[in-house]
Amino acid sequence: MKTSHYLITIIGIICFFAPCSTFGEDSPTYAIVGCTIVPVKGMPIEKGTIIIRNGLIEALGPEENIPIPADAEIIESNGLYAYPGLIDAQTSTMLDSPKAENQSSSRPSPASKTEKKPSWQHADFMAFDHLKLKKSIIESFRKEGITTVCIAPDKNIFAGQSVILNLSGERAKPMVIKNPFALHINFVTARGEYPSSLMGTMALLRQSFLDTEHYCLHRGKYNQAPSGLKRPVYDPFLETLSPYVSQKSPVVFNCANLEDIKRALRLKAEFKLNAYVSGASEAWRVSGSLKKAGAPLLVSLRLKPPLTSLFVNQGEDLKKKAEEEIYPANAAKLHEEGIEFALVSSGLSKPSDMMKNMQKAITAGLPRETALKSMTVNPAIALGIDAITGSLEPGKIANIVLAKGVLFEEETKIQRVFVDGISYEIKQAPKDAQPPAINIAGKWEGLVKSPMGEITVAIVFQQEGNQITGTITSEIGKWEVTGGALSGKNLSFTIAANIMGNDMEMEFYGTAEQDSIEGSISTSFGNAELQATRAPGRN
Amino acid sequence: MLSVRVLNAQNLLIKNGTLLTVTMGTVIKGDILILDGVIKKIGKNIEAPEKVKVIDATGKYVMPGIIDSHTHIGLSGTNEMGATITSEVKMEDVLNAEDTSIHTAVSGGVTMVHTMHGSGNPIGGENVVLKTKWGKASEEMVVKEAYRTLKFALGENPKQANSFNPRGAPRYPQSRMGVNAIIRREFLKAKNYMAQWDRYNKANRSNKGAKNLIPPRKDLRLEPLVDMLKGKMYARCHSYRADETLEFIKLSKELGFKILCFEHAVEAYKIAKEIARENIGISVFLDNWAYKVEAAEGIAYNAGFCTKQGVLVSLNSDSPERIRRLFNDAAKSMKYGGLTEEEALKLITINPAIQLGVDKIAGSLEEGKHGDIAIFKEHPLSAYTLCEMTIIEGEIYFDRNQYLKEREEKAREKKDKEKNKEKKGETQ
Repeated sequence: MKTSHYLITIIGIICFFAPCSTFGEDSPTYAIVGCTIVPVKGMPIEKGTIIIRNGLIEALGPEENIPIPADAEIIESNGLYAYPGLIDAQTSTMLDSPKAENQSSSRPSPASKTEKKPSWQHADFMAFDHLKLKKSIIESFRKEGITTVCIAPDKNIFAGQSVILNLSGERAKPMVIKNPFALHINFVTARGEYPSSLMGTMALLRQSFLDTEHYCLHRGKYNQAPSGLKRPVYDPFLETLSPYVSQKSPVVFNCANLEDIKRALRLKAEFKLNAYVSGASEAWRVSGSLKKAGAPLLVSLRLKPPLTSLFVNQGEDLKKKAEEEIYPANAAKLHEEGIEFALVSSGLSKPSDMMKNMQKAITAGLPRETALKSMTVNPAIALGIDAITGSLEPGKIANIVLAKGVLFEEETKIQRVFVDGISYEIKQAPKDAQPPAINIAGKWEGLVKSPMGEITVAIVFQQEGNQITGTITSEIGKWEVTGGALSGKNLSFTIAANIMGNDMEMEFYGTAEQDSIEGSISTSFGNAELQATRAPGRN
Repeated sequence: MLSVRVLNAQNLLIKNGTLLTVTMGTVIKGDILILDGVIKKIGKNIEAPEKVKVIDATGKYVMPGIIDSHTHIGLSGTNEMGATITSEVKMEDVLNAEDTSIHTAVSGGVTMVHTMHGSGNPIGGENVVLKTKWGKASEEMVVKEAYRTLKFALGENPKQANSFNPRGAPRYPQSRMGVNAIIRREFLKAKNYMAQWDRYNKANRSNKGAKNLIPPRKDLRLEPLVDMLKGKMYARCHSYRADETLEFIKLSKELGFKILCFEHAVEAYKIAKEIARENIGISVFLDNWAYKVEAAEGIAYNAGFCTKQGVLVSLNSDSPERIRRLFNDAAKSMKYGGLTEEEALKLITINPAIQLGVDKIAGSLEEGKHGDIAIFKEHPLSAYTLCEMTIIEGEIYFDRNQYLKEREEKAREKKDKEKNKEKKGETQ
């Protein structure tokens, strides 16, 4: 038998007996002791205890009041702060891009039998059906303390429907808190077809909502008493829109500038929609209308002024001021006006960017307590999940962040995150991390030697500063390289392997030179040696 | 930064200027008192009430704010080219208060504009009338008193639009007869639609017990056309050649809607009597023609000649550049067309006001009208003039001397800063 086949068989047998990966069913009971509890709803508790059982918060309070159950694993948390897991109520990461439909190739003739679906009719794009749950991306959210996300499609006028996930484990179905959450709409145009202008988009949105109202009316009457009535013409698009127009399910309007916000509020009033305003980088400029309309507000931490803004085309000085002072103060100004909102990462590709910008927003005047509220209770209410999350209360989901320091202070490091009661230790870059000595980005070929045999691998690395990500491909499979760090010449990373359906993490420690890498991989069945050199050809 | 500086006065007393009222003669050394944005009194030696800002207009010429009855400023987008008939779109949905062209307009004494859909479609969208209140929110600019108008276009622009469509067959119509045919077709659809609704409403009223009645589907494209058939909305039609203009008048009578005004109307002089008889206005350039084939036979005397034949003529800019100098264009009508001073000024004030249906609130200096005023250094029809101040409803939206002062100050500050930097560099 070939060496690699032998290897696969052995690993398979071992994996069969290896502990199952996180599934939530048998998660252990924990007692977090000695921390300062910040429940957000209610006063902070110094020296508190939180009991987690069955993925839920069973009890919490001052340590004198909370007995520790016999079966609890104790997590010593002296000097740490416990917060509710943060909620990012709008992100478009972790989504497969919608397949570009053939709207550009051929124009349907009026007599064509097959009706081509216009590109804007994208309302049935369900985020849940197009999730791309890469482990490294999920980890990058948890690393920032974000335990719950609402993943929203963001392309086309009717972008699609979002899903709310709790980021525990790796499989989508157990993660789902709510599917769908909302219908998402963008004030964009359809390239090369109607509507090709913003005014056309507004007319289209109005006509679509009118048609949905009419459809629901007709269908409702027909279902009740069809006799004598012509039957309504079945329309899948209007079927999709129906709950959002007749049952007032949430409709989230992505608003790039202040006029978009006005447009959204106008549509909200005209059709009595349960409309949310998101993005809203200029929300402070229409605070009066926002207060009046009472539409839930999801403020993006992208902080960039829209291209239409006057601040951006009156010279470099003003543009700089807009990008560094004026627009980062959006949230602070809304807070001063007494407007509540949730802070979201929409428009940003990485949650770490969201937290960097959070610092900018706080510097610009957003109080830290408001920032915390805007990532816990407020998004929970906006997403309609405040009965089960958004604060630390008995009975709620055990989504907990343990931080060394007050959250959102610059030096604060998140140590551990609980999601659905499953504990995730957050590996931070070591304090004595040196800047990387080399750039190892690119393609590598290597050989893994283990007591059970040899196997060739192809590795692709990406490097950003200290951080290393990438993929490692072999006969056994293609796996992700996560949590990688290059400090000087010391290289470490985790391989998120999945062998025969079982997840396994393997740690690599070694050294990297300009053209060669060597080190050892530790697995649950022993150590293996890796030697790799750069792949020939263009890298 | 183009400042958003607006004195929240709304109460002003303009003193001692030459008042060109346009409709009621000229007042030498006249005063205008504006209270709460409305002209309260025009006369001489008006006493300034308490707390009212006084503007000294000695040696200056005071005229009503200029009205530009055909522009595309203040919008995010001009044409909806995805379809040939787009009566469902509204300019009011895509207002852009940050368009610097609004500021340009205000610097040329323009206080009101009719900002329109483009001429790419035989039937475009619903236009909107705005006051050029630079610095205010977009919804505060809308003039609700104006007529509702729908943009129509004939001739080369609609028939050539999308003719080089890389994605397939060129768009119908490709000829003038096609343009008329598609307009007719859409209005006939609208008539059917109106009849449908009439039937439903009748049945609904009589058959009180009918639970099975479903109303027809509301069609946003046909609704404006129905409004036109009912006389609630009017056509503003872009046309160049005499023949297409006459054909459109015939079409409007055949289908039953009213044309308020022809835009550009480069050959209007050929059919001035016919246009005057139909009580339709024209909105034209003074000396801009031959930029395309259908504009080949334009003449500079168009505006003047048509005025003398009894047509209601207004001058427009259709450009964020020309909008700054409509008063120069008006002056040209005295040389080309032999119009009097007052007739020339009317082309950019009361005439467009009447065309837009806002003559009760704007277009002349009269007590009771809005305090929309432009103050000029010389007579507005003089080649040497400059607009110095523009006021809308008693608030100052443009003050040339103030800007010049601020520029000087900024330049001085910059110089001082650089001097300080040099000094610091030297001592180090």
